[in-house]
Amino acid sequence: MSKMTSASFPPRTSQVGVLCIISAASAAAVQLGDRGETRAKLRALAVQRQEDHTESGNVYFESYPLFRRPYPVLRDPVAESGALIETRFENAEPCIRVGCIRIIAAGNASSVQIGNGKLVSGDSRIKHIRQYPKQQPDGQSPDGQDKET
Amino acid sequence: MIRFHVTNHSLAVGQIEVLGVSSASMLQVGDTDNVMLYSMFDTPPESVIVGPLAPFPSPEGADTAIGESNVQDD
Repeated sequence: MSKMTSASFPPRTSQVGVLCIISAASAAAVQLGDRGETRAKLRALAVQRQEDHTESGNVYFESYPLFRRPYPVLRDPVAESGALIETRFENAEPCIRVGCIRIIAAGNASSVQIGNGKLVSGDSRIKHIRQYPKQQPDGQSPDGQDKET
Repeated sequence: MIRFHVTNHSLAVGQIEVLGVSSASMLQVGDTDNVMLYSMFDTPPESVIVGPLAPFPSPEGADTAIGESNVQDD
């Protein structure tokens, strides 16, 4: 793919009056300023079960193919054909102005940025597992059969 | 040959209110060349296990794996 990109000129600056964030958790990034590259990544196994981990055993990321799954491929026929793409950005106004930003929560490999960036990459993989014994209608204890669904 | 020409004029916003920026998403005041955001979320069908409490299956080479505390390794 051939690509000609002239960076936006002059680079715009961002002016924000108030930034109010209550929570930023789980590989979240909050940045005021410019940034080259961000690669945020989060892997989570959310297990809810009746017994604790010492009795029911450990949980492994390796057991679940979700954590090995490759990224979906973006197909762009124009770029694949080798056509030359020329992009040009002109900034007539040198400022982006925002009065007030209120964010309650930022989480799970997310990014909050005031300023310019080059590359932002975020990857969040979450697997939910709920494990609980089946309630028998006659009040008997569960039989030994495997009832995984 | 494709020419993509953008002219940015004045941009002024009064107030932004966000409830949540979740799972590989972004909020930015500024310019970015390249954005790649992926989020994979899996709940059913194996998420609900009804039945006797059995240990989860161990993966191949589980003896050498450290398990859920070993987050930094790929």
